[in-house]
Parts: sequence; structure tokens; C-alpha cells
Amino acid sequence: MGGRYLARRVLQAILTITFIILLNFLLFRMMPGSPERVLARNLPEAARAQLLVRWGLDKPLIPDQLVAYVSATLQGDLGESYKFRGRSVVDVLGERIWPTLILFGLGEVFAIILGLGLGAYSGWRRGGAVDYVGNGVSLILYSMPYFVIGMALLIVFSTSLGWFPTSGMYTIGASYSGLEQQLADFLAHLALPLTTVAIGLIGQYSILMRSSIIDTLTEDYVTTARAKGLTEGRILRSHALPNALLPAVTLVAINLGYVIAGAITVEVVFNWPGIGTLTVIALSARDYPVLQGIFLLLSVSVVLANLVADILYGALDPRVRT
Amino acid sequence: MSGAAATPANLRGERLRLRLRNLADFGRRFARRRDGLIGLVILAVFAVLAIVPTLIVGPLETATTPSGLSLQAPGGAHLLGTDELGRDMLNLTVHGARISMVIGLLATAVTILLGAVIGIVSGYLGGTTDTILMRITDFFLVLPTFVLALILAPIILDLIGSDAQILGIPSTLFVIIVVIGITSWASTARIIRSQALSVKERMFVARARVIGGGGGHIMWRHILPNVLNLIVANTVLTFAGAILTETTLSFIGLGDPLLPSWGQILNMAQSTGAPGLGAWWYFAPPATCIVLVVLSFTLVGGALDDVLNPRMRSRR
Repeated sequence: MGGRYLARRVLQAILTITFIILLNFLLFRMMPGSPERVLARNLPEAARAQLLVRWGLDKPLIPDQLVAYVSATLQGDLGESYKFRGRSVVDVLGERIWPTLILFGLGEVFAIILGLGLGAYSGWRRGGAVDYVGNGVSLILYSMPYFVIGMALLIVFSTSLGWFPTSGMYTIGASYSGLEQQLADFLAHLALPLTTVAIGLIGQYSILMRSSIIDTLTEDYVTTARAKGLTEGRILRSHALPNALLPAVTLVAINLGYVIAGAITVEVVFNWPGIGTLTVIALSARDYPVLQGIFLLLSVSVVLANLVADILYGALDPRVRT
Repeated sequence: MSGAAATPANLRGERLRLRLRNLADFGRRFARRRDGLIGLVILAVFAVLAIVPTLIVGPLETATTPSGLSLQAPGGAHLLGTDELGRDMLNLTVHGARISMVIGLLATAVTILLGAVIGIVSGYLGGTTDTILMRITDFFLVLPTFVLALILAPIILDLIGSDAQILGIPSTLFVIIVVIGITSWASTARIIRSQALSVKERMFVARARVIGGGGGHIMWRHILPNVLNLIVANTVLTFAGAILTETTLSFIGLGDPLLPSWGQILNMAQSTGAPGLGAWWYFAPPATCIVLVVLSFTLVGGALDDVLNPRMRSRR
């Protein structure tokens, strides 16, 4: 891969992250009641002045406060939570990140396999029965907020049939005799939220893959392959699929930002102890440091995911290395 | 020009005839799209609900004026059952149509206005202005804008106070509208800019410049009419997105309990624990409405896109 392509993408990502940190700084200053009022509420004048000095709030906004903020952020210091007293934002986020990663990592994997598969098949057999039904269902799923899918699954499989627990990650107060038992409990709790995430994503991915494969099938090299007398299956496997997968993969990365919105609501429905439920807790308590930490974490992850997708795309498709 | 003398009155008549013919032509092509028509019919029904909810189900029931008992199942006097306060679900859902559609409409207006202005200015002026505006646009495209909306909404709300009214809109709803606008204009701007770039190279723009047309005049009279097709198709698709974003924001607690949109009803259903109580009628009506409206907008938008911009077929 061209070094210049790589360098430009990395530079772009760094620039975007810089913007994000600047935006976060600005938002922190816009915050209602400004930081000094929040920090130094109901304090005598002397103690207040001392506190302002300690937080550097007596210095001018730019450059001193900005420099202090940026260097703290880069060192992984995102401040203290208001809601969870005495705990740092990084601490609170760290404890919540694993449930979210497991739920959405697995959900993405299932959705990518099933969604891309369904989309490829519908696009290949365009106008067929699978395409007709699949496309209709995908469109409906695409129009449905994730949490609605979650509520429907919850009421059918949990409340009515009683097959799965309704909320949380483990049964409250349960004691396990072994690791397998704990794992089984975890999986039972995971099943419904995971299905919700997967179903929510399958619609999007199948629509993406369908149009991607339809585009590919009109390319000259597919006509050439057909003229050479290759079987339809062979054309799909070795010519159309690999080329159609490329744009689909990029779109999956770009879509990550939208997926996060759905992620937050699914966790709320199932009371899954991840970043999503944390967002709602922080929102109702107006815990701004935590909200900002969440914004920083999620936006930087999305930027990095896009960077990885760009680099992969460049490595796989020589045409974009400009 | 036709044979008649080119008097101003004749010109106006000619222009009107041309417009009407274009419109009729557009109508015929759109009518061939069955999916677009189905979407249009569904949207018309919801538009009626949104315009005259009180005629259909009476005034909005509040916590102090419920018409039934707590969480009654559908049937009898309450076709769609009641919520935990005894309010009729049909009443709430029909009034929710008005609130959701109005927020969606205003948020779409803000989005399109921002996107179109930035896209046209950026594409027409080019140079440094273009570079700076497109850097900002790219930034908003990469950002998970929903998360930005999440932290912007409470900050703005606390800044202006939650009891205030702005332009006659309660501040909670105003904030949702503004936040959706701020966070979703970027893709519109990108699309409009690329079209503006090609339009400005056309001969009539050069002619307008030669006879002394200023930048503002050219953008308004020459560029805008030629990107209008894109704006129309994009508006319809943006509307679908705005309704979904509003629903999600309200669901996680940024809505206004006194003005229940569909998302706000779902939020109340969730906090009451309706799924756990088996009260499916609490969330099924608003959820169905959201899916129908978003789906219809997507269908109409796709059909419009095909009819108006045949070269940029989206093939969804």
C-alpha cells in the first residue's frame, strides 16, 4: 500500500480526534453553571479561591485552561463523576465497557454473517422469492427502532413464555457452584438483547449488501466471466462476492455511529449494565463529566473504526490508493 | 421560445405552461411507482391524524383527566387499552402523531436549511470557503452524531431553562428540534455541494455572471432551482431519520412528558415496566405508527429519488 495514502488517513483521524477533544472542552465550558459554580458551591470565599487555583480556573480560558484540559485528557484523566461520588469517570466507564463490547461485538458478528449472506443471496437472485420477502422484511426492520424489537422479544419470550430472564446480566443474588453454571446464567441473560441487536442490524446490512452485489453484477468483468462459460455459482463466489464485499465492509464501519444510538436503547430495555444504561443514568442525573467521557469514548472508537476500514479498503482495492 | 412575441406577459404564460407540463409529467412517472404510492397514502392518513387529532379522539387526556382504569386491556370503551394512569391509548397515540410529526417536520426544515445553504455556498464559492466548510462537514459525518445530540440536548436545555418557550414552542421540544438539525445536516450538504459544483460550470451561470449577477443572486436564482430536485428527495428521507432520532431521544428520557410524542409514550411504557407486565397494548400502537411512518417516508423518498434523479438511482 502507498505510504502516502496511509499517512493521509492517519493524519485525518488525528485531526478529527483533536477536533473532538476541542469540542469536548468547549462543551465543558458551555456547561450550565460553569465549572467553578459546580465545583465551588456553598463554599466560603477563601476556600473557593483556593479551589479555583487548584483546578486552574483562575487562569485565562485560552491557553492555560485549554492546555490543562488537553493534557489531562491525553493522560486519561477525564475528571470525577457527580453521580457516583468519589469515583473517576475512567473508572466508571471501564467497569461498563465490557458488557457493551460483548453484546455489540457478538451482535455485529452475527448480523454481518447473516445480513451480508441474506443481502448477497437476494441481490444475486434479484426478483426471486427470497429477495421479495427478504427485502420487505429488511425495510421494515430498518424502519424499526431497536428498542421496539427488544420490547417485542421481551414480552413474547420472557414475560409470556418465560424462557429467558427479563433484565440484567446475572440473576440477582444467585450463587454459582461452578463456572459453567455462571456462564449458563450469563448466556440466558445475553440471549434476548443479543438477538435484538442482531435483528436490528441484519436489515441494514442486507440492504447494503444487496445493492452492492447488484452493482457488481453489472460490471464488465462479470460479463467476461459469463462469456468464458463459468457457472453462475463460480461467478458469484470468485468474481461478484469479493468485489461486492469491499464497499459493504466500509459501510459497516461508517454505520457504526448509528449502531451506537441503537445500542444505548437496547441496553435500556434489558437493563444491561453497559455504556447505554450508564448514559441514561448520567443523563437523568445530569452527570456531565460522565456524559463527556461517553462522548469521547464513543466518538474516538468510531473514528478509529473508520480508519481501520479505510486502511483495509486501501490494502484490498488498489483503485482507492490515491 | 414559441412563435408569439416575447412580451413579459407571454413569457410568464409560457413559463407557467412549461412548469405545469413538467409537473404533470412528474406525476405520471411517480404514479408508476407502486411503493411510492402506498407510502403516500399511509402518510396522508397520518397527516389527517396529525392535523385534527381532537376531532377524532377528543382532547388529549392528561394525568388528571383519564377516561379509564389503570392498564386495561384493549376492548370495550378502550379499543387500544389504557396506560398506567388510565389514559386511553388510542387518544394518546393519535395525539402523539401530531407531536411526533411536528417535531419531525421542524427538525427536517432546520436540517435541510443548514444542509442546502452550506452545500450551495461551499460548492459555488469553492476555494478556502469550500475547504473549511467541507472539513467541518466531514467532521460531522464521522462523528456519532446521536451521542453528540445526547450531550448537547441537556446542556442547551439547562442553558435556556426547561420552562421557557421559544417561538411558541416549549423549550424541551425546541431543543430536540435544534439538536436533530445541528447533528444531521452534513450528508445533505455533501450531496447538494456535489450537484452545485457541476451546475456552476454550466453556461447559464457564466452568462448570469457576465451580465453582472452577484454571488447571492446567482446562488438563489440559478444554482438553487437546479439542485431543488435533490433537496426534495433528500427532505423526504431526512424526515424519516428525524422521526427515528426524535423517538430515540425521547425514549431515553429527553422528551416532554406533558407533550407525549410516540417516543415519549414508549419511554413511559418502559419506565412503567409494560413489557414485564405483559401490557403489549401500551407500546404496540406507538411502535406500529413509528414503523409505518418511517417506512412510508423511506418508500416515498426512494421513489422520488428514482423519478427526480434518474442518473443517481439509489436502488434500495
